[in-house]
Amino acid sequence: MKMTVGGRAVSYVLAYLFALIALYPIVLMISSSLKTNMEIFASPLSLPKTFSLDTYKKLWEAVPFADFLWNSVFVSGMSVMLITVFSAMAAFYLSRFSFKWTGGLYFFFIIGLMIPIKLGIVPLFLLMKNLGLMNSLWSLILIYTASGIPISVFILTGFFRTLPIELEEAARIDGCSHFQVFWRVLLPLIRPALATVIIINFIHAWNDFFFPLIFIQEETLKTIPVGMMVLFGEYETDWSLLFAGLTLSALPMIVVFLMASRQFMEGLTAGAVK
Amino acid sequence: MKQFRLRYVASMVLAAVMVVTGCSSGGTETESGGGQSGGQQVTLSMHSWRVEDTEGYKAIIKAFEADNPNIKIDFKPFKATEYNTILNTALQSDSGPDILQLRPYAPGITLAEAGHLEPLDNVPGISTIPKDVLAAATGKDGKVYGVPLSLNSTQFYYNKKIFEQNGLQAPKSWDELIATAKTLKEKGIVPISFGAKEGWLLSLSHGVIAPASYNGTDYLDKLLKGESDLKSAEFLQSVQRMQALIPYFPENYVGLELNDMRTLFATEKAAMFINGSFELEGIKKLNPDLPLDFFPMPTDDGKQVLTTWVDGSYAVNAKSKHKAEALKFMEFMATKKFGELFANQFKRISAVPGVSTDDPLVNKMAELSQTSATPYLMVVNFAEGKPTTKQTLENALQGMYLGKLIPEQVVEEVQKSAATWFPPFKK
Amino acid sequence: MFPLPALVIYTLFVVYPIFSAFLYSLYDWNGIKRGVFVGLQNFITLFTVEPFNEMFWNAFRHNVFYFVVEMIVQNGIAFGLAFLIYRKIRGSGFLKIAYFMPRLLSVIVIGFLWKLILHPNYGALNTFLGKIGLEEWARPWLGDPDTALLAIILINCWFGIGFAMLIFLAGLQSIPEDLIEAARLDGATGWRMLWKMILPLCMPAITIMTIFTFIQAFEAFELVYAMQGSMGEPFYSTDTLAVYFYRMAFSSGAGDVTLGLGSALAVVLFFIVGSVSALSLYLMRKREVQH
Repeated sequence: MKMTVGGRAVSYVLAYLFALIALYPIVLMISSSLKTNMEIFASPLSLPKTFSLDTYKKLWEAVPFADFLWNSVFVSGMSVMLITVFSAMAAFYLSRFSFKWTGGLYFFFIIGLMIPIKLGIVPLFLLMKNLGLMNSLWSLILIYTASGIPISVFILTGFFRTLPIELEEAARIDGCSHFQVFWRVLLPLIRPALATVIIINFIHAWNDFFFPLIFIQEETLKTIPVGMMVLFGEYETDWSLLFAGLTLSALPMIVVFLMASRQFMEGLTAGAVK
Repeated sequence: MKQFRLRYVASMVLAAVMVVTGCSSGGTETESGGGQSGGQQVTLSMHSWRVEDTEGYKAIIKAFEADNPNIKIDFKPFKATEYNTILNTALQSDSGPDILQLRPYAPGITLAEAGHLEPLDNVPGISTIPKDVLAAATGKDGKVYGVPLSLNSTQFYYNKKIFEQNGLQAPKSWDELIATAKTLKEKGIVPISFGAKEGWLLSLSHGVIAPASYNGTDYLDKLLKGESDLKSAEFLQSVQRMQALIPYFPENYVGLELNDMRTLFATEKAAMFINGSFELEGIKKLNPDLPLDFFPMPTDDGKQVLTTWVDGSYAVNAKSKHKAEALKFMEFMATKKFGELFANQFKRISAVPGVSTDDPLVNKMAELSQTSATPYLMVVNFAEGKPTTKQTLENALQGMYLGKLIPEQVVEEVQKSAATWFPPFKK
Repeated sequence: MFPLPALVIYTLFVVYPIFSAFLYSLYDWNGIKRGVFVGLQNFITLFTVEPFNEMFWNAFRHNVFYFVVEMIVQNGIAFGLAFLIYRKIRGSGFLKIAYFMPRLLSVIVIGFLWKLILHPNYGALNTFLGKIGLEEWARPWLGDPDTALLAIILINCWFGIGFAMLIFLAGLQSIPEDLIEAARLDGATGWRMLWKMILPLCMPAITIMTIFTFIQAFEAFELVYAMQGSMGEPFYSTDTLAVYFYRMAFSSGAGDVTLGLGSALAVVLFFIVGSVSALSLYLMRKREVQH
């Protein structure tokens, strides 16, 4: 398909214009964090005149950011790991075995896509209390794992179905058990889909502020978003500090994404909609 | 049977997960005190919605801990907008903090009626607090469920320097107020720093302006007996006056929030600012050198009134494991010592009578709240209904400022809401 | 054995709490204290008593509007961008990452940033409009009931375009080359090609995105809550069903909690989202089988 020169020019302008719109608020956030409060008020749109990390130093002293960071990493990392392993196992089963109940089971998982889990917060609270998980990061890990399973099963089942069955048959002839087939043969093949599942769930667990708000009261057990919310209350007029907090809270996510982005794009474009 | 098996499997999986990942079983709950041997140290948890007061509370708690070496208090503030979500969820599951900050009047009393709070009638010192102050935490059964912390007042703050430069004085009547605003506007100064984006600030401002039309408490007495209603001439006028102030608000005021209003006033771009005693600290933090004063609302019959109500109280969780210790703290909160600590720490009016501070403005507010107070009607008497009548007024005023409702419709809606639950109107 | 861990965790921490919450809708609640069993009374109240019914339909209309705007703006633009990248554009790797970036931010960050950009007096948008001579277009975007909801939805589109774009791109790339080649030999070009060939072949991706958009639109909560509060301000102009639910189930501190009605609303919400998405999934499956 050939495009005219004019058509090409228009496509480039549009494509890069939207990239600018997508990135502008993020650039604003980072550049404002390097400004002083006076600069933010006087010229909110311009780039910072001097480069200074003073605000970050102040932020580091104002809140136990290292604790928040570790908690977020632990909770998100652990949830993503559990989701990935459990969902892959379920998806393998759903795509490879067809018993009477597999259709129903698949549907049962998919229902979870349509339920806003916040609706069940009071029973969930009771459950966590009875399990002795109040004020424990494990309450969050279990919730994120549970609520991440539907979409992950959905994506991974779709992907497994695209894999040719011959591979497994060959492996089985070599004497591999179901589990070995799953672990040694199939998992490496679905790496792109796994990247998708990992990123989607990582984003969700990293950014959620509702559940930590309810389940975590200990200051040193808070995750980044909730820690930031407290910061907003205490320093509501110190804008450069807030921007620094916002930047720090988003940065780890951005780094992880950039690292995994190639696999992720491949995964989404190869398996999600089949 | 099936259910049982499911639970069994679930607990097995959980246990396995925790073993694999090296998590100690039993969670990280820190139940201290109780039967512990040795020093019998007890740690009480205390929840509040005043994140901005964290430092101040630390100082107050230190004073308490010095007198009570066996008790430690762990103060945890939450963002005001999420506080109720967190508290209600915890109380419904029979847990929650030992000591909790209680919203004043109906919203807080609901918790007492659901059986979550410990009655405090026998706490020594509580009888020294005036009855109308205790009313903010008194249930329908007549028992007291909270120790009130402070009185709030709302008023017009103004910038003395701007007033002097323009030959103006604190207004003595509604007409003078309008004339003052007009002069300021002609000089290119924003007369009143105001925003309509946050509903609660609208009912708060109405609480300041309305008593001018009520002429003190005559109308209120009739209203609370059901002999008058919220469609009366007095109430309608109060809403019309909210509308009459529009020309003196800043540009784009429908999009402004508290932060914006405070900044306009503190940076001396606006001359007046309607807000509560609890804003004093925030304004001063932003601009310590601001030549700040306030005036009480002049009424139509030539008096001056200050709108007041009781701010939050502190209550004891009925399910607390350390009630005796928590009650000790309640006792402390009712003492003059606490009152003085509190008033000086936060620059607020203590609920304990006879406490003065080192801040002349706070002292003036405290004095006026003794001599010429009028209640913040929407909080004290109309904070019930679903949605509450207070919320209905806020929403309707927002509608008025957006040009969707006229004052007659505003009072109509407010009366309709109150009629669904306010006992004197139901007769 | 394979699906067991997922099944157990999911049942225990998603299905069980939700269905217990549904049971709440059958009781009378005095604030947060459970009263007697009242059957379907809460549902009847929700739909017949003022102001509950008015609020329901007000919020419902906003959810529908949310869906429509997201379909047109978010999915429309996302498809366009996917098509540009599909047709090979320089820097497509960078573009894909750029479009997806907003998705990485938490709602707290997004709410704060956009409130600042849309600030009536010193926000970037109004400043920009002033600089290019369009002062009269400037307005308090989030304080004006005519623009507040649209502003929130457009921010949501900004947030979601990257993900939608990738889904559409996947759809486009799964079209077999030889089909397109054959159509081209038949003389199909430009719009005709897009309309008659490409769109129909992208239907699975479009259906999935439509379902995702529908679920998202009807569960819209966090952005409204972060930017306009639990009252859907101003003047209930940004209220949605989920915000309305939150208000009834938790209240904002004003003491208007009514957990029975809140749970009833949750059940209704679940059935709206569940039935529509199940139906479209079923139709999609059926069509796939026919192919």
